[in-house]
Amino acid sequence: MLRTSLFLILLLLSSVFCLEDIKEEFKESLSIKSLRDGRVASSFSFKTLLRDAIPRDPQTLAFDDDDSQHYTLFPLTLGQILRQYAITELHLTLNAGKWDYDSWGYPDETGVGVGAELRAWMAGGSISSIDDRWQGVRNALAGLFCASLGSLNEQRTTSPRLSFPPEGALPDWGLPHELRHASHASEHVCTENLTPFLKLLPCKSLSGLAMLLNPHRIFDADWHGIGLHVLWRPEGVEVRLNVQLVSDPLRISGQKKQDWSFHSLFDRRVEKACPVAKFSRVSVDLPSSGLYRVYPEPMEVIEGKAYYDLKNNHEVWDIGTMWPADFEYPLSKLNPTLVPFSVRRNLLGSTQDRGQLSIVVTNNQQDTLQLLYLETMPWIIQFYLHTIRVHSDDVPRDDLISNMSYVLPVPHARPATFESVLTLPGRSSLTFTMDVAKAFLRYTEHPPDAQRGWDLLPAIFTPLTEFPNGSINLGRRVYTPSLLVDLATPDFSMPYNVIIFTCSVVAFIFGSVFNALTRKFIIVRLEPQKQTENSVGKNIDANKSNKPDASESEAH
Amino acid sequence: MDTLSLRVRGFLSISRLFRPTGDANFARIKRRRALFSFIARRMAVLKLALFITGYIWMLSIPSSQLCRGVYFDENALQPGQVNTYWNWKEVHDADRFLTELEALRDINATSEQRSQFVVNEFLKIGLSASTQNYEFTGLHKGINGTNAYAILSSPRVSGAEATVISASWLSRMNEGDGTLNLRGVATVLALSRFVKQYSLWARDIIFIVSDGHMEGMQAWLSAYHGVTQSNIRAERLELTSGVIWTALNIDYPGHSLSHLGIFHGMPLHLPSVSYLMNISSEGLNGRLPNQDLLNSFQHISRRTGVPVVLYDHKDEPGLEWLPESIRNHREIRTYAAQARNLLRHVRYQASGRGSGVHGLFHQYRIDAFTVFAVPSAGPHGFHSLGRIIESTLRTTNNLLERLHASFFFYVLTSFDRFVKIGNYLPSVILISVAMIFGGLEVWVDAAWTKRIPEKPNVEGSTRMIWNRRRRPVLEVVSIMVATHLFGAITFFFLTSKLYQSLSFASAELCLVTYLLPLVVPRLLRRCYSDDIAPLSLVLKAFNLCLSSTVISIITVLNFSLAACLAVALGILLYIASSSSNRAIGMAKYTVYVVLGFGWVLLEETTKQMIWDWDVLGVWLLPFLCIVYFPLTLQAALVCII
Repeated sequence: MLRTSLFLILLLLSSVFCLEDIKEEFKESLSIKSLRDGRVASSFSFKTLLRDAIPRDPQTLAFDDDDSQHYTLFPLTLGQILRQYAITELHLTLNAGKWDYDSWGYPDETGVGVGAELRAWMAGGSISSIDDRWQGVRNALAGLFCASLGSLNEQRTTSPRLSFPPEGALPDWGLPHELRHASHASEHVCTENLTPFLKLLPCKSLSGLAMLLNPHRIFDADWHGIGLHVLWRPEGVEVRLNVQLVSDPLRISGQKKQDWSFHSLFDRRVEKACPVAKFSRVSVDLPSSGLYRVYPEPMEVIEGKAYYDLKNNHEVWDIGTMWPADFEYPLSKLNPTLVPFSVRRNLLGSTQDRGQLSIVVTNNQQDTLQLLYLETMPWIIQFYLHTIRVHSDDVPRDDLISNMSYVLPVPHARPATFESVLTLPGRSSLTFTMDVAKAFLRYTEHPPDAQRGWDLLPAIFTPLTEFPNGSINLGRRVYTPSLLVDLATPDFSMPYNVIIFTCSVVAFIFGSVFNALTRKFIIVRLEPQKQTENSVGKNIDANKSNKPDASESEAH
Repeated sequence: MDTLSLRVRGFLSISRLFRPTGDANFARIKRRRALFSFIARRMAVLKLALFITGYIWMLSIPSSQLCRGVYFDENALQPGQVNTYWNWKEVHDADRFLTELEALRDINATSEQRSQFVVNEFLKIGLSASTQNYEFTGLHKGINGTNAYAILSSPRVSGAEATVISASWLSRMNEGDGTLNLRGVATVLALSRFVKQYSLWARDIIFIVSDGHMEGMQAWLSAYHGVTQSNIRAERLELTSGVIWTALNIDYPGHSLSHLGIFHGMPLHLPSVSYLMNISSEGLNGRLPNQDLLNSFQHISRRTGVPVVLYDHKDEPGLEWLPESIRNHREIRTYAAQARNLLRHVRYQASGRGSGVHGLFHQYRIDAFTVFAVPSAGPHGFHSLGRIIESTLRTTNNLLERLHASFFFYVLTSFDRFVKIGNYLPSVILISVAMIFGGLEVWVDAAWTKRIPEKPNVEGSTRMIWNRRRRPVLEVVSIMVATHLFGAITFFFLTSKLYQSLSFASAELCLVTYLLPLVVPRLLRRCYSDDIAPLSLVLKAFNLCLSSTVISIITVLNFSLAACLAVALGILLYIASSSSNRAIGMAKYTVYVVLGFGWVLLEETTKQMIWDWDVLGVWLLPFLCIVYFPLTLQAALVCII
């Protein structure tokens, strides 16, 4: 009875959502910033808000999804995936390049780790387990984005404790939400990922800011990445699609000027605004000093940013900035630094069995800094936790590392997750080292192109602020570049096979030669006992049965 | 099915021919005995044949019959398939950098000033750049300097892999006589500016201007890989990148007063072209880079129109002492040219110190070589060099994996011909087989003695009979261990500060090493019993076996060193024997000790070896002291005990 009534209530609830007039909102914005090293960072953001919608309760997965999904602006293909696997929050980024925090500062979108990164918050309590749904959503998104997300399998999946709090809110269904996180450093982002990405936008790339997304220019940028973020807030479900890129106007133009415009950066202009966008805004960070000209004349300037509303009038937009002087690269480190701390991560050692993971974090501030350090390692790298050494400015300070949590790797199955909190005194440099062992893989576990090595995921650092009442506040995540590790790899090519073959032959020959040199083979004639010997063979046989160890041979 | 059964039946009938009926074990033992007695009876001939074949084979390695043309194995490389963009604008840049570097040289700028200049230029180009101070402590105190390096974080790549382009401040000209490599440094600077303009690089590019000749790069590389060499105090690197796959070292020593493309030289057979490229590849402790890398470079270089030579042999070897008819024979000329290259190769590889800065990279599994611009008065200059390096860089840029195809074991006899491992390795192996046969024969002989039977036979004949006797293994092994320990002591003495401070230290050391082993015969209990084999025989057997093993093992690690050992020890150890005449014994002893330790008297060479060991970690000195010298000492002891 209870079950049926529950079912009826749910049915009623979902039909209520169906009947309700769903308001959908689409906003697009682009922010462009000239960086210290002459490069230009552009960040596109396309937000669709599905007002008053809530993610699917996983308990309803037992029933058919009767919520007819009628969307006008919200991407249907994505909506279907989200509902089928009852995803509460989802983040997918596909990036290429190394984000240089020291000269570029923090990115507008936090997720800048190289390769593919996917994470989802899901509630349990359904008939299909979280891991099953995680697998489903991986494969579905792989199909949607033409990316190898299917390879983010359990060998790459982790659930870090602290580093990825939900960005939105989690509905209170009385069920615990769980996080699944996986990344793949050697996944490349390419035009084939951008095309399906553009299809999720209401105006595609036909009008509005998306007109600027020219694959020839995006994928030539020094750093580029696309991202998909789905999250729930009490006002509704928000889908945010974003494209970030860092272009180098000096390289593109071949001149010594850092001038940029839509046309020079993207080889396109915005010819018409997207008609369904609620607003379509471009913001340009104005340089803090020097002589420059921003064109066209900005509509408003607030806090060092010039704003343009593309919906306002119907002209062809080609926003840009010009400098009269040539650009000169800074010859020394500029102050103040753009980020409170800088990180360098290396895998030291050149042998194929051992190595040392070394991390140097420099605190650029006067104040003490607490960092949450997350290291996700495939099982092929095994940590020796007892070899962890922490030095602060070359003085051993093991007290600076705390709150360590470690999920052991399972060979061939699960990666290791290492989380800890590092404390950096003001204006100091902290060195963290740990010895690692490199696994010896099975013959069949080597991928094609085995000689390249294995990509190790970026480590993630998050500044922590601890409040006196015990709550903690996480700052913006910082991703280190990925690493490449050389494992002992058989050379699958011909010369090596020849060496192996020759070595085997030599080993066999050595065996017989050694035998011949150290042993003397004689025929032992036993005194006739009961049986009369006719043949030598019988002698030997008899000998064999008596003394199995020294049957034919006798040590010389 | 029918054909199969027929085949099986046929095979059985054939095998029956070789395997006579009757008891298999009995037949096998008989066969084996026959074989061994056949070998044993002809042992002397066999050994001689092995020695002769081995030495003749060794001599014929340079002949054109054993070598073949080089070829590409890694298809990803695609050498010379790109349009190069390096042009006169870049040449102008290089010239400008050269002018500034020359100004620095003229004011005798210190290491710091030089590296600061280089770093500033890198920063102006827009690369992240830094310096690294280093200092050697220990034996060679006072070697210090400052490296300058920059890292181009290539667009779009994760920075997990890197390629190195480097130039050392000192050139390898005339084996490092102190000529400055200004043009090499200028090329690196111009290249760094040039590659920044393109987004086609698949991995980070690291530019290094290392101080000194070898030592600066040694400090840089050990800091980069986190290897702590106890006697280097090197600053930690502020900037790092990923795993280095390939490295290209540019060595372009030019005359200080020369203008672009004008060098002093002596073009002989190539009157129109007198500026040549040279590739040298030998690394530390006999390592070699992947041959594909060298092949790509020489292919690109020749396509660009710049002739390539191996080492700096521009002219043909002089064979004036030969009659003209023989001298002009094509085969003879090829042989002479290839033999000269081979000898140069053996010299570099056996000494283990490598033929240039690239040699330091190999120990970290980085394939590297040096482009050496042979000074001349010819048409080529920054323009050709830049194009070639750009093209080579683009070729290595094509790699999806480390260089792993092609050959790591080879002997280049000319820039486009090489000897495969199968064609050169057997020469030394044959000699070592002859040695081990010799050793085993002596071992067997030591077990038997002929003597007149106490009770004559009934017939009254005085036929000798064979008697077994004991072989004193323990004593001999103790002697051998003692010689190796003695070698180790000499090694520690050579690398100690005491040796540096003593005058005539080498002569004193030689005297001690000559005199001290003479006490060994006194220490030994002398018993001329018929039941115990003489010590000298057993020692010789063990010595031959050990030397043979050492040579065979070294063959695959460092062929040149093994070949040198085979030449030096092969026959000499074999003919060592004790002598009843004390004077002759002492003479023989002297010969062996001089052979084994005489090199210490060559003070310059010894100094160089100590430097190599201390600064670069070259194994030659410890090998000579701890392995080679004890082996000859054992042979020397054979003569006097």
